[in-house]
Amino acid sequence: MILDTLGVGLLGTSTEVCHKVAQYSKIYSSDLSSTIWGHLDFRLPPVYAAFVNGVAVHSMDFDDTWHPATHPSGAVLPAVIALSEAFPQKKKISGLDLLLAFNVGIEVQGRLLHFSREARNIPRRFHPPAVVGTMGSAAACAKLLALDQQECKNALAIAASYAGAPLANAATQIKPLHVGNAAKHGLEAACLALQGLQGNKQILDEESGMGAFYTDYNPQTLPTLQSYPWLLEQQDVAIKRFPAHLATHWVADAASSVRRKLVQSSENLTPLDKIGKVILKVPEVRYVNRPSPASEHEARHSFQFVACSALLDGSMSVQSFASKNIHRPALRELLCKTQLEHPPDNTPSFDSLYCEVSVTLQDGNTITDRCTTFYGHWRKPLKKEDLEEKFQSNVLGILPTEAMEGIIETVYNLEKVEDCSVLSTFLSGQSARALPKKLRFF
Amino acid sequence: LWLKGHNFFASFIRAARPEHLSPTVRQRSKRMILDSIGVGLVGSTTRVFDIALRYCRLYSSVAVSSVYGKPGVKLSPTLAAFTNGVATHSMDFDDTWHPATHPSGAVLPALLAASQMLPPNTKPNGLDFLLAFNVGLEVQGRLMHFSTEAHDIPKRFHPPSVVGTLGSAAATAKLLSLSSAQCCHALGIAASLAGAPMANAATQAKPLHVGNATRLGLEAALLAGRGMEANPLILDDIPGCSGFSAFYSVYQPKPLSAPGEHHEFLLEKQDIAFKRFPAHLGMHWVVDAALSVRNLFINYAGSFSPSLIRSIMLKIPVSKYINRPFPSSEHQARHSFQFNACAALLDGEVGLGSFSESSIQRQELRELLDKVVVEHPEDNVANFDKMYGEVALLLHSGDVLTGKCDTFYGHWRKPLSKESLLKKFRSNASHVLPEEKIETIITLVDNLENLADSSQLACSL
Repeated sequence: MILDTLGVGLLGTSTEVCHKVAQYSKIYSSDLSSTIWGHLDFRLPPVYAAFVNGVAVHSMDFDDTWHPATHPSGAVLPAVIALSEAFPQKKKISGLDLLLAFNVGIEVQGRLLHFSREARNIPRRFHPPAVVGTMGSAAACAKLLALDQQECKNALAIAASYAGAPLANAATQIKPLHVGNAAKHGLEAACLALQGLQGNKQILDEESGMGAFYTDYNPQTLPTLQSYPWLLEQQDVAIKRFPAHLATHWVADAASSVRRKLVQSSENLTPLDKIGKVILKVPEVRYVNRPSPASEHEARHSFQFVACSALLDGSMSVQSFASKNIHRPALRELLCKTQLEHPPDNTPSFDSLYCEVSVTLQDGNTITDRCTTFYGHWRKPLKKEDLEEKFQSNVLGILPTEAMEGIIETVYNLEKVEDCSVLSTFLSGQSARALPKKLRFF
Repeated sequence: LWLKGHNFFASFIRAARPEHLSPTVRQRSKRMILDSIGVGLVGSTTRVFDIALRYCRLYSSVAVSSVYGKPGVKLSPTLAAFTNGVATHSMDFDDTWHPATHPSGAVLPALLAASQMLPPNTKPNGLDFLLAFNVGLEVQGRLMHFSTEAHDIPKRFHPPSVVGTLGSAAATAKLLSLSSAQCCHALGIAASLAGAPMANAATQAKPLHVGNATRLGLEAALLAGRGMEANPLILDDIPGCSGFSAFYSVYQPKPLSAPGEHHEFLLEKQDIAFKRFPAHLGMHWVVDAALSVRNLFINYAGSFSPSLIRSIMLKIPVSKYINRPFPSSEHQARHSFQFNACAALLDGEVGLGSFSESSIQRQELRELLDKVVVEHPEDNVANFDKMYGEVALLLHSGDVLTGKCDTFYGHWRKPLSKESLLKKFRSNASHVLPEEKIETIITLVDNLENLADSSQLACSL
């Protein structure tokens, strides 16, 4: 998760939304400073570094997704890395400290999501990273800061008052800020708690506390720390293969498969010209139902766009969402022929949904394929080579090869790293040569 | 011409002109500005303010904006707004509107900070400032009218954190003269920064709700000014994909008339309530009722003799977060019908000092609290326009003395006189500023429309 998140974030620093928030955040540079991933030319105060890097991570909707639904890593990793660099009293943070804090932040999100049955489905009201992500960030930072129990409770209480963003900003340029703000505000909440600020320590229990974000909030007691059952143990994340909403990944796999069958079964070189109708059987998810997306943000949240794109090209990639590809005539034509259907048995949950693509040709022949589990889903996780390939492909052009290799090496050996600031050094694009001798391990 | 929510707000922010401000609206809004500053100044002596300020000073690089009560200190604009917003709500001493929210604290600090941010040759004048302030209020009011739920005392999200954030974005967008499209996006961005749950009321974190509303609204406008785009339909009600409606269970955005020649601001028809002491608005009814029955009791018994009292009956509306039989902190005490009634009975008045640690823990006060019984008559609605407070003393002798208050002094139906408002301001400001500075601020606000450079106001704090 850490490796994928870093890769996705580094790629994301090249996006327009990220440029805007970086420009904005530069207003607030100060003495305390943390790395902006992919940049050696400027640094920002930790809270704004967390913000900018968090935005980068979610800028293309390329980051990990969990069940119940949220984007867990983007809300936590940028915050703990930024904090590790600007620690009070310049204390050294080890890789193991970082890894533990990260996992605390993930776990807290998962546990909170389990307090609501509504959370098991694709969201409709609040965007989950803005709700539980803020809390996870606060928890992770509180852990890294070694806050005492009272302070931890306060960090969470304060974070709750920053939580929450409505779903309608999904598929717009602002959505990445949900994750950026989750990271930033969680970090801020922990810092305020460290300064002694107090909130309602029962906020996780109350209907007018965390319960405000759900219609069916039901907090439960949790297991003791003796042989603690981490949620990540029982339930893995999904890693995306292309930068779009998770639900579109089922559609892409089904559509690619249909295309293969079409091409194989046809003597014609351009069977796609003969397509009369495309029917997608998908769950009912309002904000991913866009027949005619106009921007990259909308395209990433469109069943129809991804299906047609995959049919035309055979597979999806970062480039599928470039402006010229979104607006190409062949695609627009195919979009006009595309319809959605919502079978009642297709529940809007990332654990149980499926997508079926049916292409009917002009001669009446229909080719169908159904995808129940796409490659990258937790039931079919990416192999190590493919995860690395995604990372390398993302980082190419953003960081020099040495820095890229340095990150992979550091993350894989995180528990043994004595001073996790090496990670930040690589993230800013410097190579191993920039590290003091004692920090190198190869 | 009737416009849907998003179009109305963006057009309104752009099209509002100083000429649209009626004399009533000008006068009322200037009163609000003065009270808000005073409340913020006294708020700069609180512990929560101290924490917020210490935190913000970590990031003080582009420090151009002033902080209430700290003449030597400057912070970056959003952090100055944050700190001053926290100061304003730190003691729950700031204004309250109907439908319920604390409108000024969410808007004024952002404008003050922004006014100092702009380069010298583009400083807005006092009239621009006053207009932007009123735009910020109006947007909050209009949004609240989209939900019947908003008319009652809140239960789920704290209104300043919901509408206040958008009000701040609107006001700042106006001051910075953003384009219509940018104004629209500022509101959309602000929506993703809105919303804090009620459960942090009556805790030290509550003032952050106003601090963040004003700061994040300012941030939203700054981002919009730099080209950030959000969902322009965020104020619409779209089933299955919530926008601003996420914060309400009942949300009905209405088309609004286009801001034209004679736009009437909500402030014209619906004035604000100013608090006489630093506690939740609901307390003010109960205190006035308690003071009234106290007088009766003194006439009856010759002096206030608690031993003669068997029980104290409070008739109050149902509202969980202000019903606290034994508050243990100042924040809880400010949100306790029981505490405020007893303090008023015991002391004959409620003021700043009533909420100190020693005052809260007093033996005589705890004894009185023990005698309190609470009733929720059906006709006592949890709504600042309709509620009442009744305090009855049931004596051991069998006699019953009652005091009732429908409208406390300071409520919009019985507004504070100019003298009372100035008295409150001077008393608040004197905690941190010398007399000359205090009088300067009063004069500046009174003559706001004639001020050539509105950043003077921020500089005078």
